[in-house]
Amino acid sequence: MNELANLFDAALLSSTMRFATPLLLAALGGLICERAGIFNIALEGLMLTGAFAAVAGSYYAGVLGGVGAAVVAGAALAALYAGFVVGLRSDEIVVGIALNLLASGLTVFLLRALFGVKGAFQDPRIEGLGSVRLPLIEAIPIVGPLLSGHSWLVYAALMLVAIVWVVLFHHPLGLRLRGVGEQPDAAATLGVNTRRVQAAALIVSGMLCGLAGAQLSLGSVTLFVEGMSAGRGWIAVVAVLLGRAHPVGVAVACLVFGFTDSLGFRLQGRDIPSQLTEMLPYVVTLIGLAIINSRRAQQKGLQP
Amino acid sequence: MVATSSEAPALELRGIVKRFPGVLANDHIDLAVAPGEIRALLGENGAGKTTLMRVLYGLYPPDDGEILLDGKAQRFRSPTDAIHAGIGMVHQHFMLFPSLTVAENVVYGREPQRWGLLDRTAAARQVAELAERYGLQVDPAARVADLPVGSRQRVEILKTLYRDARVLILDEPTAVLTPQERQGLFQILRELASQGKTVIFITHKLQEVMDLADHATVLRGGMVEATVAVADSSPEALCRHMVGRDLLPQLAKVPQATGESLLAVNNLVVLDNTGRRIVDQVSFEVRAGEIVGLAGVAGNGQSELVAAIAGLRSPAAGRILLNQDDVTATSIAARRQAGLAYIPEDRNRVGLALAASVADNLILTGRHNPTLTQRGVLSQAGIERYTTDLVERFDIKIASVREAVDHLSGGNRQKVVTARELAQEPLVLIAEQPTQGVDVGAAESIHHNLLAVRDQGRAVLLSSAESSEILALCDRILVMFEGRIVGELLAEELANDPAAEATIGLLAAGGEV
Amino acid sequence: MSTHRATQDGSSSSQLTQRLRPLAAPLLAVLGALVLGALLMLVTGHDPLAAYRAMFEGALGGRKLANLMATLARATPIVGMGLAITIALRGGYLNLGGEGQLVLGGLTSALVALYLPLPGWLLLPVSLVGGAVAGAAWALLATGLDRVFRVPLLIGTLLLNYPARYLASYLVNHPLRDVASGMSQTHRVPEGVELAYLVPGTRLHVGALMVLALVLVATWVVRRTRVGYELRMTGLNPDFARYGGINTVRLGFGTMAISGSIAGLVGAMEVLGTHHRFIDNALTAPLYAWTGLMAALLAGSSPLGVLAAGLFFAAVHTGGFGMERGAQVPRELSRVLQALMILLIAARSRLLTPTHRDAPAEKASSS
Repeated sequence: MNELANLFDAALLSSTMRFATPLLLAALGGLICERAGIFNIALEGLMLTGAFAAVAGSYYAGVLGGVGAAVVAGAALAALYAGFVVGLRSDEIVVGIALNLLASGLTVFLLRALFGVKGAFQDPRIEGLGSVRLPLIEAIPIVGPLLSGHSWLVYAALMLVAIVWVVLFHHPLGLRLRGVGEQPDAAATLGVNTRRVQAAALIVSGMLCGLAGAQLSLGSVTLFVEGMSAGRGWIAVVAVLLGRAHPVGVAVACLVFGFTDSLGFRLQGRDIPSQLTEMLPYVVTLIGLAIINSRRAQQKGLQP
Repeated sequence: MVATSSEAPALELRGIVKRFPGVLANDHIDLAVAPGEIRALLGENGAGKTTLMRVLYGLYPPDDGEILLDGKAQRFRSPTDAIHAGIGMVHQHFMLFPSLTVAENVVYGREPQRWGLLDRTAAARQVAELAERYGLQVDPAARVADLPVGSRQRVEILKTLYRDARVLILDEPTAVLTPQERQGLFQILRELASQGKTVIFITHKLQEVMDLADHATVLRGGMVEATVAVADSSPEALCRHMVGRDLLPQLAKVPQATGESLLAVNNLVVLDNTGRRIVDQVSFEVRAGEIVGLAGVAGNGQSELVAAIAGLRSPAAGRILLNQDDVTATSIAARRQAGLAYIPEDRNRVGLALAASVADNLILTGRHNPTLTQRGVLSQAGIERYTTDLVERFDIKIASVREAVDHLSGGNRQKVVTARELAQEPLVLIAEQPTQGVDVGAAESIHHNLLAVRDQGRAVLLSSAESSEILALCDRILVMFEGRIVGELLAEELANDPAAEATIGLLAAGGEV
Repeated sequence: MSTHRATQDGSSSSQLTQRLRPLAAPLLAVLGALVLGALLMLVTGHDPLAAYRAMFEGALGGRKLANLMATLARATPIVGMGLAITIALRGGYLNLGGEGQLVLGGLTSALVALYLPLPGWLLLPVSLVGGAVAGAAWALLATGLDRVFRVPLLIGTLLLNYPARYLASYLVNHPLRDVASGMSQTHRVPEGVELAYLVPGTRLHVGALMVLALVLVATWVVRRTRVGYELRMTGLNPDFARYGGINTVRLGFGTMAISGSIAGLVGAMEVLGTHHRFIDNALTAPLYAWTGLMAALLAGSSPLGVLAAGLFFAAVHTGGFGMERGAQVPRELSRVLQALMILLIAARSRLLTPTHRDAPAEKASSS
C-alpha cells in the first residue's frame, strides 16, 4: 500500500503533464488536418524539426527566438507538405514518410554542420523555457502539483485545446474546415477554396508541432538529441484516431499516454530495466487502439 | 406562364460551343428563358444537356458564345461567379455535408456571425424563414444524414435560395424521388416560378415535361433540335424530336421455352448498416432460357439483393440456390466456380482495375483455366490468344490488350466487363445497370449479348433503373419496393401495351395495379 | 467522355521510350535531390563538386575496389528490406514494421545458433529459418491487429517496431548478455553457423547472393504466376479482386507473412554473416529498414527496381563516408539526399490505390 502510494504521488501527476504536452500540441495539429480531410503522418518529423529549431534558435537568440524558430521551421516544413499533397495531389502517406526521413536526416546533418557535434547538443547558451508557478493553485492538493510549476507551453497547450474546440465548432472557419474534410466537392461548389483551407490546416499543424518540439527540447531539458521525438509523433497520430479528432477526446488520450510515459519513467527508478518501461507507451497505445477500434466497428455494424 | 416576346429573358444563351477531345458536346446552342418560366431541357444521354448546364454554372468555360442574365453579358470563371450572378444549381448527386445540420449546410460559406462566432440561432431563423416563404418543409436543426432523399433535395434548393438565386437549374431532379416526393417537388417548383424565379430542369422523362414545364427545349447531338410550348405538344412529338425518329421497334425476341431453375432465392433477408431490412423476405427464381428483370426506384433493395446473390454481402436469413445447390454460405470464388457471373453496377470501382491492362482485366474470371495458367504459372501465349479473341468477339475498340483500361471510354470499359463475365459461359448472369453511361452502340451490343445468353438456354437476372430496357429485354419483370417484390409482370402480357412503363412505375412507387 | 485512342504507333523508337518511361521519374528525382543537396552544401559553406566527386570515389573506388565491396555489402540488407516492403506494397499493404521484423529475425537467429542443440550442418539453415519465422510472426501480429481489431496496418506495423527494439535491447543487456565482452551483445555464434564471405577481406557475404536470388524469384512470381497476378490486382483495386473471387483476407495474411519473413531473414543474414552475434542497435542504427523502405518507394514497387534503388542508396551511403573524408562534408548529408529523392518521386506517384482508404466519389461519365 505504502509502495503504491509512493508510486502515485504528486510528482507523477506533474510529470504526466510534462510528458503529455508535446503529444497534445502535435495531436491538436493532427486533429486539424484530419478534420480538413488530410491524414497528416508527418507529425513525427515536424516535431523533430521543431525541437532542433528551438535549440538552434535559443542558442543564437534566446528562448523566444527558439520558440519562434520552432514555429517557423514547423510551418515551413508543413508548407512543403502542403505544396506536395494539396498543390500537386501527391500521396500524403508517401510524402509524409519522406518528410519524416528528411527531418531526421536534416536535423542530424545540421547538428554537425552548424554545431559540429554528433549525437547530442548541449550548451549553456541554450536558454530553457523555465517554469511558471501559479501562487494560489499551487497550494491545492493534487491539482496544485498537477497544474503548477510547468513551462508556459504546458499552459498554452491546455488553452489551445479550448481554442481549437471553439474555432472548430463555433466559428465559421471551423464549419468550413469540417465541410472541406467531409465533402470537398460540396464545399467547392459553395465558393470555398478547399485547397487553401487544407494548406492552411497543414501549416497550422506544422506550427503546433513546432511548439511541441520546443517543449521537447526546451521544456524540462535544454538540449537536442538525434531523433529525440522517438516515436512521439506517431503516438500523437494514434491519439487523433483514439480521440475521434475531437479536441477533448484527443486531450484525454494524450493525458493517458503522458501518464503511461511518466509511470514508465518512475518504474525505471525501481530497478525495472529501462528497455521494458520504455515499451509501455507503445504497448498501451496499441492495446487502446485495438480495444476502441474493434468496439467502434461492432457498434457501427448495428447503428450508423 | 408563357413567355412573351416583349419581356427580356431572365437567362439567355447565344451560340454556346463546347468541345472535348474528339467530341463537339455543345454546337452553337441558343436558349432564352423568361422570368418565372419553368423550362424543361430534354435529350438522350450524350445529347449535351449536362455539358450545357456545366457551362452555365461556370464549371466549364465555353469555347464560344455568350451567357446573358437579364440582358447583361456574364463571364463565369468558376461556380462562385455563377452563384454571385444569381444562378443556383441542384446537382443530380447531392452536394451536402451529411454530418452537419440543415442550417449549417445552407449557410455554409456565407455564415451569419455574432461576436465573430458562428451565429447558429440566426442561421436557423433565416433558413426557417426561407423555407416558410417558398413552402419547403424542412427542420433547420436536423442532421442531413438523418433526412430522406426528398428532404435533402429541399436542402439543396434552400441553399440556392439563401444565395438569392434567380435562375435555378435542376439536373434530373426526380431520378431519386418517390412519386409522392416528386409531386412535392413539382409543387415547390411551381411556387418558385410563381414568385418570379426561373426554373430549368434537365430530364429525359416525357411525362414530367408534360406535367410541369411551360416550354421544352430538346437537344440532340449537341444542337438545339426544337423549342416547343408544352401546351401545344405531345409526348410522342417530344420523343420524335429527342430520338430523331419514331420509337424503336422492339428487339427481336423469340419466345423460348424455359427450362429448369438455375437461380432461386428463398425468403432472403439482407440488413443495411442500421439493421433495417433493406431486402425483406424476397423469393423468386430464374429459369434456364429466360431473362428476369428487376425493376424499381433506386434504393429499394435491388443493389443489396444483387450483392447478396453475388456473394459480396451476406444475407441475414434465407437461401440462395445456384443450379439447385445451396450457395448461401459459400465464397465468391465458389459461386463463380458453380457458374455465376456478375456485371456490377459500378464498373469503375468494382468491375475493373483501372490502372491494369485490358488483358489483366479480362483474365480475372478465367485465371484458373488450363489455357491461362498451368500449375499456377501464367501462360503468356494463352493469355494473348484468350484476350485477343475476347476483344474481337465483343468488338472492344483498343489499340492493344496491354493498354490500361483507364484510357477507354465508358462503353468500351463496359464491353471489357461484359466480355470477361461471359467468357466463362456462365449458367447465371447477373447484370446490374449494364448500359448506364454507355453510348448507344455499346448499349445495343450489350443487349444482344444478354439475349444471346438467354437464347443459349442459360439464365439472366437484369437489374435496371430504365423501364424501357427492362421491357425490351425481359421475359418476366419483378418490381421491387421497400425491399419487397411487389409485382410480377409477364412480358407477353405487356407487349404492345402503351401503359407498360406506367404500370411498372406505379408498382415501383408502392401503388396498386 | 473519353474517346479511345484510335492511333497506334508501333515503331520501335516509341516502344523504347515506352520502356524507358518508368525510369524517367526516378532519374529526375535523383538529379533534383543532387541539386538541392548542392544548394544545402553551398549554404553551409562546402564545395558541392568536390563533395560529389569524393562521394563517387567513396562509393565505387578504393584500393582493390574496397569501397565498391563495402557498397555491395551494405546493399545486401537494404535491397533485402526493400524487397520485403515491395512485396507487401504490391498487394497494397504498407508495411512500416520492417525494423521490428528485422531486429526480431536477427535476434532469433542468434538465439537459435547459440542455444539450440542441433548438429552444426543443420544449425545454419534452422537459424536462418528461425529468423524468417520470427519476422513473419511479428508482421502477422500487425496484420491480425488490422483484420480483427481494426488497427490500421500502417499504425500497427509502425508501433510494433518499438516493443521489438526494446525487447531485443533488454535481452542483450540483461539475461542474454555476453558479460565478458563488456558490450550489449550476445555471445558469438559457433563458427559453423556463420555465412561465408564471398570476397576475402571484405564484409560481402553469401547473403548477397541469397538476396539476389530472392529478387529474381519475386520478380518471376509477381509477373508470371497466378498468385502474383492476384497480388497485383489486389494492390490495384481490392474491391475488384474480391469481386473476382480472390480471397483477399488470406492473400493479405500470406503477403504480410512473406514480407515479414524476408525482413526476418535479412536480420538473420546480417547476424550470421556480418556481426556473428546479435549486437544492440547494430541492425537499427544503419537504418536498413528505412533505407529499404525508401528504395521500395523510389522503385515504385518493382522487385528489380528495388535492386537498382537499393544498390544506389547503398552507394550514396558508403559514398557519404568518402565525402566526409575527402571534402569534410558531414556524411549525414547522404540521408538528406535519400529523403529528398523520395520526396521528389512522391510528387508524381500514387503508390497506394485510393481505394485502400476513403476514395473520393467518382464523377459519373454521363453527357
